[in-house]
Amino acid sequence: MKKVESGKKKTSLPVKASLCVMGTGQLLYRQWIKGFLYLAVFAGFLWYLAAMGIKDIIGMFTLGTVQADPWLGTEGDDSVIMMLRGILAVIVICGAALLYRSNVRDIKRTDEMIRAGKPLPGFFKATGMFLDRKFYMVALALPVAGVLVFNVLPIVFMILIAFTNYGGDIVPPKLVDWVGLDNFRRILTLSDIKGTFFRILGWNIIWAFAATFINYFGGLGLALLLNKKCVKGKRFWRMFPILAYAVPGFITLLAFKFLFSYGGPINYYITAAGHSAVGFLDIDAGIKAKLIGLFVNAWTSIPTSMLLATGILSNMNMDLYEAASIDGASKWQQFIKITLPFVVFSTTPVLITSFTGNFNNFGVFYFLRGGLYMDGYFLASDTDLLINWLYNLSINNNYYSIGAAVSLIIFAITSLFSLSVYVRSSAYKKEDTYR
Amino acid sequence: MRKQKRYQAAALALALAAALSGCGSSGGTSADSGQSANGAGQGTAQGSGNGETVVLHVLENDTAKSVGYFQELLDAFNAEYADQGIQAVDANMDEFTNLAENGPYGYGPDVLYQANDKLMTYAEDKHILALDIESFDCYECTPQAAWDAFRMTIDGQTYYCGVPVNIQEPMLFYREDRMPQDWQTEWDDDQNGVPDFFENWNDLYAYSKYLRDTDPSPGKDSQYGFMASLNNLYLASPFMLSHGAYIFGEKDGVLDTEDIGFAAGDAANGLSALRQFAALMNEGCIDDTITLNRYEKLADGSYFCTVSTPDTRSLFMDRLAGKYREEGLSEEEADAKAEENLKMIELPAKMPADGDLSRDSAQMSDGDWVNTIVMGGVNGYGVSSYTQHRQESIEFVNFATKYDMIKKRVDMLGIAPTRSDVAEVSGDTAARIFTSLSEGRIYLMPSVKAVDQIWTPSQTVMGDVAKDPFREKAGETPKYKDEQDMKNALETINRNIYDAIHTLAK
Repeated sequence: MKKVESGKKKTSLPVKASLCVMGTGQLLYRQWIKGFLYLAVFAGFLWYLAAMGIKDIIGMFTLGTVQADPWLGTEGDDSVIMMLRGILAVIVICGAALLYRSNVRDIKRTDEMIRAGKPLPGFFKATGMFLDRKFYMVALALPVAGVLVFNVLPIVFMILIAFTNYGGDIVPPKLVDWVGLDNFRRILTLSDIKGTFFRILGWNIIWAFAATFINYFGGLGLALLLNKKCVKGKRFWRMFPILAYAVPGFITLLAFKFLFSYGGPINYYITAAGHSAVGFLDIDAGIKAKLIGLFVNAWTSIPTSMLLATGILSNMNMDLYEAASIDGASKWQQFIKITLPFVVFSTTPVLITSFTGNFNNFGVFYFLRGGLYMDGYFLASDTDLLINWLYNLSINNNYYSIGAAVSLIIFAITSLFSLSVYVRSSAYKKEDTYR
Repeated sequence: MRKQKRYQAAALALALAAALSGCGSSGGTSADSGQSANGAGQGTAQGSGNGETVVLHVLENDTAKSVGYFQELLDAFNAEYADQGIQAVDANMDEFTNLAENGPYGYGPDVLYQANDKLMTYAEDKHILALDIESFDCYECTPQAAWDAFRMTIDGQTYYCGVPVNIQEPMLFYREDRMPQDWQTEWDDDQNGVPDFFENWNDLYAYSKYLRDTDPSPGKDSQYGFMASLNNLYLASPFMLSHGAYIFGEKDGVLDTEDIGFAAGDAANGLSALRQFAALMNEGCIDDTITLNRYEKLADGSYFCTVSTPDTRSLFMDRLAGKYREEGLSEEEADAKAEENLKMIELPAKMPADGDLSRDSAQMSDGDWVNTIVMGGVNGYGVSSYTQHRQESIEFVNFATKYDMIKKRVDMLGIAPTRSDVAEVSGDTAARIFTSLSEGRIYLMPSVKAVDQIWTPSQTVMGDVAKDPFREKAGETPKYKDEQDMKNALETINRNIYDAIHTLAK
């Protein structure tokens, strides 16, 4: 027993000191600059906690206790700002914890070097060694901080909103409260909302698959066509899809809305021919509006796929086709066995983002057919996607918390799908195959 | 309890301020100011008091800016208050800027001009101040109905949060030179000098039908009578409101957003009338096609008359003058002819109680009619609760709503003023609109946030009903065959509005 105890290193005073107060151990080892820097960070952190950190953390739990009254000049609590400050405080505390960990590791390393009788490097030399050894950390520190503030913070904020009653009548200066999973419960249990959610989800999945398929193979088909040797004036023909691509999306969508409206040119020619006008996008449109949506989406998206496929096809090894021809492969077989695997391999990540983009394609039905609430739908129409419904709920009707809950569900669906497809794809499994 | 005490204190401060301040006079240069709810800034505005100029940021609507009225207002105010160290400037913000989002963080305007429904959305959360309306120069000559557009009740206390300027309501636009030659003999049964089709909806329907039946074009699409986007609640409101429908009921003098009244009274009859009129239009009445092409179509004579708001008069005028220019008139001649021929009047005052527009008006007695009620609004000024210069802002509003400035506004913008003294001298139309408001023929948009939720549900159903005649024409089965179908449609509007306001809020 005695032997075991003697084998155990005794924690030195500087290590104990740095465990209690950052930087003090380093100071005891006469590492003045490093010690004071750690100490300054520690002091700054304590000051932050005392001045606002603790208040912000508490505020994140309470979301305010005093309601503002602009008439009486009462400066109340702003729940939304309190939540944001609370998230920021958590990020600061996490940052401080990481620094504390580095402080402990540093003092332990120093302690071991002292015990081993090795000379301690000076601050600048140690900094140089650190920069050399962990350059990636230094280079990525600023972008990571930016991502934390500009990406993580809003995402966490949105996630947290889904667990509050923010929206409807509860908007600042009124105080917001935490409601747990109540918003999710309402989406999944209130009969009207539940029915609408699943109906829209069903259509949303069909839409995302159909739109991705049409856009992808439309673009590939167009690229293959324009790649054919027999096509004359390729540059001229390529110009048209690029023109369609260059026009801002919402202008194209508004143009199509006019095109298919009762006062638009299509109905003009239909009526001029003696037929009744067709409600392409009105309340009775049903499948017509859905097909028009797919068509308009293809119009705006196929040029992107075409450009992508054109670039990939230009890297194809033509010897493969020559060999296939000699072996007697038909054109279709060459397409299925050579072209398609090559293009799909290169574009799987793009295909996934395209699917996600189509799943969350807000613009098409907002511009083509916004402003309809149909029977059997809760504040939505039969062409609305989840993202449009989310907009109706959160922007048109101010139900921010319900909107946040819906967006979390959308996120869960799209991320699950994207990840599962990606890890099963050749692009992930056989990364080196086509290099 | 604590909150209640605050309101009581605010009410007390208001009452005290009202007692202390005298009534304004139209000729005064430093009118007694209204008092904000928190009692701040009593007495006459005197700039910052430390020799620095107080700058007020004023938000006006774009039309007032484009025709130059706003600049005249600023110039007049700045000249008047230069010695008091107050200067008003354009807030340079979007006319629909959201005070609720910007104000609390110090970015909103000090004074804002907006419609009552928008302004009162802010009032609900106290983003704009409650005002002591009796201290304003315009108080005595503004009807209570206009003040009520800015009325709000909190904990039993009544507050007014805006100062009315002008009335908005849907108006009928037509071309004098497209009137039938024989209207005095054929379309003026009562020989009162006003065509019957501008007096009651049955004759407007009859004349529209006559135009459709006699359309000489092969496609029968060159001449229409009354045309409107019937899915637009604001423009097609007479069909609903005239028959007893209302938007929100009242409970103990306070708007009750749970009581939604689109299906109230005989509103189903009104919806039947809407369906009936749609049959004389084209499919453009189902969506916003007519709203978009009405300027062009009225100018080229395809539409005999259409409905729009007074602030769009200049658009009709421009298009009509353009048409005359195309016919070979000089610019001056075209403008003069357009001015002479473009007429803007109120919608026909009588609507059939049973909703049957095809009945001969000559055979109908007084009891067969109901008064036409249109949806309207009152535009006015409000003062931001976040202004650092409450008293000076109130002073600006008082100045901007005095006789001279409102008269100038009428002359330059063609608005219908809420001041009776200006309305009296501003022509027949302004006077008639003023009378309509006073007599309750204009249903003011409710001054609550929830009013934002009425548009999409009503637009969907009204568009669907307007489509019904075209379903029949296309050989499809109509959806709205009888009164019960109409009632169900109206109940759908009620239900969707209720869902939008309350279902998720509970």
